[in-house]
Amino acid sequence: MNGLPVIDMKAINKTFPGVKALENIDFRVQENEIVGLVGENGAGKSTLMKVLIGLYREDNGEIILRGEKVIIGDPREAAQMGVGMVFQEGCLLPNLTVAENLFLCQEHIFRNKGLLSVSEMIKVAEQQLKRVELEVNPRAYVRDLTQACRQMVEIVRLLWLSSISGVENPVLILDEPTTVLVSNEIERLFSILRHLKKETSIIFISHRLEEVVELSDRVVILKDGKKIAELPRDDAQIRKIQMLMVGHELAEEYYKESEQTQPGREKVIEVEGLEIRGKFEPADFSVRSGEIVSLVGVLGSGKEEVCRCICGVLRADAGKVKINGKEIKIDSPKDAIRAGIGYIPSDRRDEGLALQMDVMSNISLIVLRDMIRAGFLQVAKERKETSFWVEHCRIKTPSLKTLCNNLSGGNQQKIVLAKWLAARVKVLILDHPTRGIDVGAKEEIYRRIRMLASEGMAIILMSDTLEEDIGLCNRMLIMKDGKITGEISCPVEDKPTPVDIISYMV
Amino acid sequence: MGKNNRRNLKSIMAKGERELTGYIRRIPAIYISLLLLFIIIVVFVSINRSFLSVYNLKTIGNLTSILLTVGLGQGLVIMTGGIDLSVGGIISLISVVYLLGLKTFGYLSFFIALIAACGAGFLNGIIYTKAKIPSFVCTLGTGGIFVSITYLLSEAPISVPPRHFHYLDVVNGSALGIENGWLIALLVTGCYFILQKYTYMGRTIYSIGSNERMSWMSGIDVRRSKVYAFILSGLGAGVSGIILASNLYSGSAIFGDLYVLESIAVVVVGGTAITGGAGGILNTVVGALIMSVFKNGMTVIGIDVYAQQTFLGVLIIIAVAITFDRSKVMVVK
Repeated sequence: MNGLPVIDMKAINKTFPGVKALENIDFRVQENEIVGLVGENGAGKSTLMKVLIGLYREDNGEIILRGEKVIIGDPREAAQMGVGMVFQEGCLLPNLTVAENLFLCQEHIFRNKGLLSVSEMIKVAEQQLKRVELEVNPRAYVRDLTQACRQMVEIVRLLWLSSISGVENPVLILDEPTTVLVSNEIERLFSILRHLKKETSIIFISHRLEEVVELSDRVVILKDGKKIAELPRDDAQIRKIQMLMVGHELAEEYYKESEQTQPGREKVIEVEGLEIRGKFEPADFSVRSGEIVSLVGVLGSGKEEVCRCICGVLRADAGKVKINGKEIKIDSPKDAIRAGIGYIPSDRRDEGLALQMDVMSNISLIVLRDMIRAGFLQVAKERKETSFWVEHCRIKTPSLKTLCNNLSGGNQQKIVLAKWLAARVKVLILDHPTRGIDVGAKEEIYRRIRMLASEGMAIILMSDTLEEDIGLCNRMLIMKDGKITGEISCPVEDKPTPVDIISYMV
Repeated sequence: MGKNNRRNLKSIMAKGERELTGYIRRIPAIYISLLLLFIIIVVFVSINRSFLSVYNLKTIGNLTSILLTVGLGQGLVIMTGGIDLSVGGIISLISVVYLLGLKTFGYLSFFIALIAACGAGFLNGIIYTKAKIPSFVCTLGTGGIFVSITYLLSEAPISVPPRHFHYLDVVNGSALGIENGWLIALLVTGCYFILQKYTYMGRTIYSIGSNERMSWMSGIDVRRSKVYAFILSGLGAGVSGIILASNLYSGSAIFGDLYVLESIAVVVVGGTAITGGAGGILNTVVGALIMSVFKNGMTVIGIDVYAQQTFLGVLIIIAVAITFDRSKVMVVK
């Protein structure tokens, strides 16, 4: 490593009301280095990065950029100093073209006699896109691009911003870039990042440790706002990192296979000929009490639509759903909930909870009706009921009145779970329940799923990785091009391997 | 180096501003609104003592009752993320309906007017949710319809013949030592407070404003709650129209014009977010007090009538800038 680090954050502290988010963190990035940043949700990764790009202001500590002490006011200033971040959710405007997005707020560079020279913008955009070998028309609208393309455009935008500010070796921060990508896209992203490494430094945040280990030159591990370890590439093994992140040895059987129970005899939910034309073909399956059934399939296989149809978010064109042998009519989520079907969506922010509402109101939302007596809400009952679930699901929150916005992703997910458990549903559909949450919280969710199954709940699962599906489920339904094409049973003693299953999927 | 220093200085300045406003915003909006109200009162009193005279306090009370009742309903609609531009039309309509009704129904006219007001609100809610058009557009249309109906009921402004004055004592009398109109406004406030905090519908109004899609997916009948909010908005405007008509002993199709924007101002000055999901009944109460005290105070200290609108505009902007709780709202529209 050659001498001066590009970024040198020294003894950074940051406190939020009630939480010490960062405690004396030293964080350094060298030139042409890829640093992996890992930690559980709420460990302080995002906070540290937000301090770095000026979204938060550190309480004390200093940031030294290329040997010079700086104060970074906002992301725009950060970009001018050559530090940029690609956010998890992405921040391009879908209704503008690629070129317009690339040069957003910097259009004055292309001003010619008071008007913008579009041809010039297109030309520069093409040059810039070539840097990452991205074959995309600068005139295309961002809404028509794949997630992978959008990410690339964002990266190109950050590179260009720092280059016009005359900064060499800019720093790119990628916050969980792979969550929204499929495997060949991830490989492509990695090869581009390795290529970009020659002229940039990269900070890579991900929950998928295999990826971090594969890509990074150095891995920095945060826990509870403190830096607890820094491992050079050769020393970074997944097992070791997991242990450091969680703070204790992980259980040998990650998916708690030994707790897998035999499903009961009675079918809780039966789906017969359910269909949405153009999305998926008539589907027939059933789930018994205490059974965990995984729906697997690639993106676009129709598994999401099937689930959303059962829980009333999408309307079926034909088919029946029976609960405990009785046919029910599902026109909206309300009908599904009444029949005892719960759906935990993958998109927590938009569909799972209201971030600006407090923990209590979120958890009690579905069961609010049961807490009404003579027309009035019984606050004491609501408080009792919700605090029970907070404890039961081990939600870490300062109080019931804390806004969900101030909690970590893992805790938010537990709140969504608590909300549906409080509703005492018979069938629970879990749509990527562990997406974007850390190892510790994942373990907690797995434990919870096992517990629910042993209590007799019927569970339909769609999961982030095939390993997770195999590890958790009793039985697996494979979907391809809108059709259920196979069924594989996964008893504890004889779990299939991912390779067995992939052959069915594609 | 020089360039860098300047850059640093600029960011330090930006930071200072951010920290100050950040600190202010950590205080709940309602306390800031209360402080603002207190400051306004102190300023007016120090300029003109007669601001605190019994007669003037009565004027303020009457104005507050009118702004508060219409603001409470508007506040509920705004909390769901909508807006009700038809409250002006409803105020006008109800002022005329109430006074016309006195001739034949006497005291009963009060309730007939309230039912009509709820009906107007219900109509808003139904059109809004069934036709699925933005509440802004929907109520813009119905507001015009209500004014038009008012004209059809009575081309000219109605005045109350003295022999019917006693009917208006429902509002103008003072049964418990204070004006009945104030008691009515207090009663409405109490009811709305309980409705919003301790009933199912009230809670769903809040959750819909926070995240409509999530609320729907949690089994809440979003349409019904919205209709409910609009009925309560119509009712609030109706009460306001009755108080206004009683205070002025007349009713007219132009009475409500002023109150469309002022009802919205009352809500946002109190710290409720115009995007929904934050705020509450108490915010509206403080907002109504600020607006009425300020409007009255300007007249008392002798500010030119034509200049008053300017000051009021400045007040609204400042009040919202310091009370609006941005931590709860991600996008400012």
